[in-house]
Amino acid sequence: MGKIGTRAGVAALALLSLAVATSAAGCASGKATGGGGGAGAAAGGDGVKTGPGVTATTITVSALTDLTGPYASFGKSQTQAQQLYFDQVNAGGGVCGRRYELVVRDHGYDTQKAVAAYTEVAPKSAAIAQFIGSPMITALKQRIDGDKLLTIPMAWATTLLGSRAIQVTGTTYDVDMINAVEFLTKEKGIKSGDRIGHLYFEGDYGESSLNGSKYAAGKLGLQIVEQKIKATDQDMSAQVAAFKAAGVKAVLVSVGPRQTASLVGVSLAKGMDVPFVGSNSAYAPQLLATPAGPALLKDFYYVSAGTPVSAKNPAMQRLVADYQAKYPGETLDSGVPTGWSAAMIVDEAMRKACEAKDLTREGVLNAHRSQSTFGGDLGTPMNFTFFDKPASRSSYVLKPDKAALGGAVVFREAEVSELAKDYPVPVG
Amino acid sequence: MAVFLELLVNGISVGAVYALIALGFVVIFKATEVVNFTHASLLLAGGYVIARLHPLIGFWAALAAGIAAAALVGALVEFLILRRAHVGSRGVLAIVTIGVDILLTTELTRQIGTEVLALGDPWGDRVLRLGPVTVAETRVVALAVAAALIVAFLLAFKFTGWGVAMRATAEDAETAALMGVRLGRVSLSAWAVAGALAAVAAMFLCVFPTPGLDRGTTAAAMKAFPAAILGGLDSTTGALAGGLIVGVTETLMSGYQSELAFLGRGIGDAAPFLVMIVILLLRPSGLFGTKEPARV
Amino acid sequence: MSEPTPTAATPTRDTPRPLRAALCIAVLAGAVAVPFYLEGFWLQAGLFAMSAAIGAIGINLLTGATGQLSLGHAFFLAVGAYSYVFLSSDLGLPTPLAAVAAVIVAGMSGGLFSPIAGRLKGAYLGIATLALIFVGQHILFNAEPVTGGFNGRPVPPMELFGFVFADTPELVVLNVPFGSLERLWFLGIALLAGAAVFARGVLRGRPGLAMNTIRDHEIAAGVMGVPVARYRAGVFVLSSMYGGLAGVLVALVFQQVVPDYFGMLLSLDYLAMIVIGGLGSVAGAVVGAAFVSLLPQLLTRYSDALPLVAEPGSGGVSPAETARILYGAAVVAVVLFLPGGLAGLATRLGRVRLKELRWAKSAPAPASRR
Repeated sequence: MGKIGTRAGVAALALLSLAVATSAAGCASGKATGGGGGAGAAAGGDGVKTGPGVTATTITVSALTDLTGPYASFGKSQTQAQQLYFDQVNAGGGVCGRRYELVVRDHGYDTQKAVAAYTEVAPKSAAIAQFIGSPMITALKQRIDGDKLLTIPMAWATTLLGSRAIQVTGTTYDVDMINAVEFLTKEKGIKSGDRIGHLYFEGDYGESSLNGSKYAAGKLGLQIVEQKIKATDQDMSAQVAAFKAAGVKAVLVSVGPRQTASLVGVSLAKGMDVPFVGSNSAYAPQLLATPAGPALLKDFYYVSAGTPVSAKNPAMQRLVADYQAKYPGETLDSGVPTGWSAAMIVDEAMRKACEAKDLTREGVLNAHRSQSTFGGDLGTPMNFTFFDKPASRSSYVLKPDKAALGGAVVFREAEVSELAKDYPVPVG
Repeated sequence: MAVFLELLVNGISVGAVYALIALGFVVIFKATEVVNFTHASLLLAGGYVIARLHPLIGFWAALAAGIAAAALVGALVEFLILRRAHVGSRGVLAIVTIGVDILLTTELTRQIGTEVLALGDPWGDRVLRLGPVTVAETRVVALAVAAALIVAFLLAFKFTGWGVAMRATAEDAETAALMGVRLGRVSLSAWAVAGALAAVAAMFLCVFPTPGLDRGTTAAAMKAFPAAILGGLDSTTGALAGGLIVGVTETLMSGYQSELAFLGRGIGDAAPFLVMIVILLLRPSGLFGTKEPARV
Repeated sequence: MSEPTPTAATPTRDTPRPLRAALCIAVLAGAVAVPFYLEGFWLQAGLFAMSAAIGAIGINLLTGATGQLSLGHAFFLAVGAYSYVFLSSDLGLPTPLAAVAAVIVAGMSGGLFSPIAGRLKGAYLGIATLALIFVGQHILFNAEPVTGGFNGRPVPPMELFGFVFADTPELVVLNVPFGSLERLWFLGIALLAGAAVFARGVLRGRPGLAMNTIRDHEIAAGVMGVPVARYRAGVFVLSSMYGGLAGVLVALVFQQVVPDYFGMLLSLDYLAMIVIGGLGSVAGAVVGAAFVSLLPQLLTRYSDALPLVAEPGSGGVSPAETARILYGAAVVAVVLFLPGGLAGLATRLGRVRLKELRWAKSAPAPASRR
């Protein structure tokens, strides 16, 4: 292209207006709606009002997941579990006379790709059953709220609370950590005046967790020794040295599985034999096969609102059997029940919305927010009627176990600690 | 004081691993003046081969296979791509190595998938106690190996024909070629050697204190950049010094992060780069690098 | 790379003027019509590409034309994006003014780096710029009052002469609802065109010649009287300003700035763009930016329909991986087979066509048309 000369510029302007005129006259544009904003609800033949993502025959649900980035293993199990869930519902006749269609987009934990994928799928989705990555969801929070698109984030930071459209499942990281601190004082002999370490990631996962541990420590007269690291750090020797020097009696762990393994392994090797309690993202069963395995089996626990796949309840056992039948040989980690229950939350909302004959986004959100007791088989019971507080405050204490499915068993049944009950959750 | 000693020793021990990685950069830069971003994926390739083979043929054989494989990959990258690239400047060649790195890393991480692969090393999680200070045995070995390799390279550069050819090329490639040095061979061998070094470094990078090889392993290669440059990109001694400086800085800054909270927590990762900037301001070619005489 | 020979230079100059004008008009008209037809996904993809193109032009001035490797470009995008947010939200500057000021701040931060940029060369400067990324990320995460920490900050929409680039107030043009993306599209086009024209002027004029001479032979440039150090610092500042502008645009598209985005990978992407597109030219930067930023989005979107690309999660080569592989392969393929990049390829093809055209025309009327 050449430089735009003045003559050319004038001509360009003339043509520019021409182009606009053509586009108007032609109106081949699928975008031309007449200005209703595109959100106008139309009633279908069955008398059910429909919104974006819902046609006479299908309900489109999207999953914005990570299959190639740092959370690939988690993303994969979740996506497969959700695929399984929707396949089963479709096989059973679907919902509201419609079939589910799951649109999966992999953003590889990249903000720009996630934003692009959201822009693509949002206009044609009735809900987002899975959205991995707090930085990505944070970047889109305003838009999700504006689009009124029911979204289940796969992240549990308090920064995600406070939006009517976003449903954080189970407990938030800070609530988990409060329960963890109380567990340490009740069962691991930690008492007022003691120091406990907290190793956490930069970012909202780590910093939400730290809020919880600081709150609990303040109430119980403990002192937190903080160590912040980045996701790219691999070797925890320096952190262990600092904890050891501070004389910590226990360590809370809000990092990735890799760093957990290094921390626990190095601590034991250096003779710092204390209990470790992790957030639900701090552990992965793959670690048991590594040299850090024995150290993790010794005195490491993690806290989660999700029931482990090894639990002996019928719903879980059925899920495990179905999952293994459909995906033989795949790792059964906590992503499977998490993904499954997120799909179930979306499905329940759709069913309730269908009863009210309103499958618009507003209708789906209303239906969803009307439920005060949800689940219990695959996680602690949740209350969806508010969105400025976590849906649940009760967490399991789990322990790694080599023989168990999913590499973990329940160590202490789910309960709400005294502190977590009255904890004022920071929002946004 | 005990804390300081403990952190210092740990810093030196992790610095030894960075030094091994940096050494690979230095060898290639010395021979070809290319900044090699492919080094991260050479690490991954070497580590991957060791991890996959050790259950079958034992650790030492797997290590040898990993070294050979990474050397082969390095040589192939040089022979198939860099040698044939039509570019005007070394800077562009550096970008080409970024492209190659993306290709290799994508495929290798796909192979590794979501697993954390153990390397089956004989040291396990044993630690050495020196009074109040403990240090992982793997790291002691790493330090010894790094020092031995660097001495070996210094001797090789001085006394072998290969070393002389390498130094001549680094000095003035055109004249060296006129004197009968085969530039292609020098560059090919440099890449192969760098690959082999990468495999050794990968081995130390993925054993205790870290749990094993996974897709995140390449991130550590980034830390070797400041190590290589603050020592001087064309100096093997510099690689060792740079690695140790980066390791010690990082460990001390992390260990004392509560005391240094005013700098922001998590300063450990940024600190080596700050040190690098300061050193480069004082000595633009690094601590041990050759100064370029031209001034305009 | 091999552009500057006089005969080969700027083939468009040989193109007849009316043809050039027509081409320009066609492109402009096309660009104007786009928001009326394409859905949000395409507009956003286009806007990402425009922002990338602006940033890539900047780094092409530095790396392509002057031969100076920089791994710190993402840092200047961050400076631009965050300065815009800070200046407009906290200091209350009118948004257009904040945008201009943000670009200037990015340039100044490039200038602050000049003691280093002036002293170091080649590989040393390239790696030194890595420090910008790591130190920059540390600041973004820790300087919470200004940057909002890990959460980042919401970006106030641009407001130009009372016209707001946002979804509200609702605006319908010719029956098409105009949301923020449709409105930003025009802003993006204007910014990109301005950035491209300016860079073209720089490259075609004396500074461009001086920059190329520095790239090709620094000492010779100095001997010929080019103030090398001043030029190098100047180009560094200019390229930082382009980065800052790209940052402002990308922030407006994102509507929320988050620190994770401005990392190492973004810097590497920019380097890949200019190699793929073609070093040292504006067109190259634009083409490369379009290629690198659109490829993954297209592959992800059409993954269902593409052969060889597996469904996400099914274990084969996923769309994201395919995109990475193609993008790495493109860098390698370009340096092996396409010196001059994709833009160079287009130019060469164009030259062949035009020659044929002229041949055909000149057969009956051999007289010179000039």
